[in-house]
Amino acid sequence: MRENGRHARGSESSHHPGDSYYNIPPIKRPHWTWEIFVYFWVGGIGAGAHAVTTIARLLGHGDAALLRAGRYITLGSMVLSPLLLISDLGRPERFYNMLRILKLRSPMSLGSWSLFLFGSLSGLIATAQAAQDGLLGGGNPAARLARAVPAQILSALAMPFALFVGSYGGILLAATAVPMWARNALLMGPTFLASSFSTGLSALSLALKLGRWGEKGTHAALRRAERLALVAELGLMAASLAKMGKYGKPLYGKPLAPLFFGGTVLGGILAPLALLSGRESRPRGILASVLVLLGGLAFRYVMVEGGKRSADDPQATFSHTRKEG
Amino acid sequence: MAKTGFLTDTTVCIGCKACEVACKQWNQLPADGYEMTGDSYDNTQTLSGSTWRHVAFIEKSGRKRLTGDVDLVALAEGVREELPEGAEIDGLGRWTFMSDVCKHCARAPCQQACPTGAIIRNEFDNVYIQPDVCNGCGYCVPACPYGVITSVPEDGRAFKCTLCYDRQKDGLEPACAKACPTDSIVFGEVEELERRAEERVRELHERGYTEAYVYGTEEVGGTGGIGGNHSKFILMDRPETYNLPAAPELPQEKVGPAVAASAVAAAVLSAAVALAFRR
Repeated sequence: MRENGRHARGSESSHHPGDSYYNIPPIKRPHWTWEIFVYFWVGGIGAGAHAVTTIARLLGHGDAALLRAGRYITLGSMVLSPLLLISDLGRPERFYNMLRILKLRSPMSLGSWSLFLFGSLSGLIATAQAAQDGLLGGGNPAARLARAVPAQILSALAMPFALFVGSYGGILLAATAVPMWARNALLMGPTFLASSFSTGLSALSLALKLGRWGEKGTHAALRRAERLALVAELGLMAASLAKMGKYGKPLYGKPLAPLFFGGTVLGGILAPLALLSGRESRPRGILASVLVLLGGLAFRYVMVEGGKRSADDPQATFSHTRKEG
Repeated sequence: MAKTGFLTDTTVCIGCKACEVACKQWNQLPADGYEMTGDSYDNTQTLSGSTWRHVAFIEKSGRKRLTGDVDLVALAEGVREELPEGAEIDGLGRWTFMSDVCKHCARAPCQQACPTGAIIRNEFDNVYIQPDVCNGCGYCVPACPYGVITSVPEDGRAFKCTLCYDRQKDGLEPACAKACPTDSIVFGEVEELERRAEERVRELHERGYTEAYVYGTEEVGGTGGIGGNHSKFILMDRPETYNLPAAPELPQEKVGPAVAASAVAAAVLSAAVALAFRR
């Protein structure tokens, strides 16, 4: 019953007696499998899509196609998210224990509650939308009840929980003993949130472009917002790398560097920025959205995987706890 | 109820691993396989979900060799008096053994991280995982700055030292402390153990071992908001030698500032979207 097989030896091969204990990692990496980074991505898309459509609506932007796309994308994300999280639990049948207590100092607890509330509200909102779209039939009581749901008010109420779902992945990782995550504690949440906005905007834009839905003004606004979100994301990532310093080594080194710099920075931010800044066309917009979405997935993967590698490096942990640069 | 804990004095540990065995037997923990690591006599390597006591073996080679007729009894008594031929006691090199265990932090990162409330402080102020509540989310694992608490994939949940909660309830000392033949592991009330540790360190200093110190205080080991550890250690070398962090932090101190920073980011990003959508 030894967990994780044998321990993973640290990556530092040169070590002197007294500097570490046979290069055995002094902290343990989390067991989290693929479900976790995929959840951070899927949940982020739903949070971003909800935030964007709600803000647009509050500003009086009346495009029904945008609202419809936003509500259904959010619903899809909020159906998938808990399934991914529950399947990653060591005891999935006890998932409801997440809601037996609220702990303000535990990002995992805050996140579970936010996901529960945001998910429930987005279910109600999407039901109202489905009733409006005639998907629930015409005169039956269920459809009438669904149409009575105050979707606008609920959307506004869901905003804080949506924004927390978009950012807490970063906060959750930051509040650990893992050097790469802990060193960048303040910027982790904002960077995850920026990526959540960019991927949410891209999902909306992609859906509207593929379905040839939405007004011209909506497409232009989404394009402007995508550019702004990508610039914010780029700035936060550069600041994060600076803040991590040598503790960001898993991101610069093999095997994650190609995916991080090629997939996230170049493919997921710089290339779509170029595509969105040049001549406007449907294929270019679609390509940009797909690139942003894939880049966001790569970002979640390298952040989770990079932290695991950071935890396996004894010198990183020791140097971090001695408060060295 | 009084707060209880361990004092593990590495200066009298003989590396017999009776604590590891007693812990496994009492707590019915499975074996970890039969692998040879080549890391001295340490084939256990680390604390884990199925190993709640772990004896570390550190071989410090000496710089000088003993020559001539040496009184080995005098040497073994460990007094740093002048030795024949100007030899130093450290010239022999030193075996350092250390029985590692959960630190039972005064403010425990794993307990604060736990979203289900499975990890509690019991009536002895020990950090205890309620196995019937834990749902195996694994968040306590990277939260522990000492690498103690560990997920067990075959079971799904996380496990660590319970400080023999069941034995304490019956007025017994934990199995490891009971089995330790040299009293390297002492169980007792935290305040009493603190006094005992200070006294022992003073005694070691008087005998010339000025490198001796207590690990698990708010100054060393139990730092950064952790508020000290209920399991303390007397160490003779830098904490890193024993695979311990020198000055860990309570990771949850970052939650408040991180949430505030994210709220600022949320406001800025929302404003950016509003700017893009304004008509």
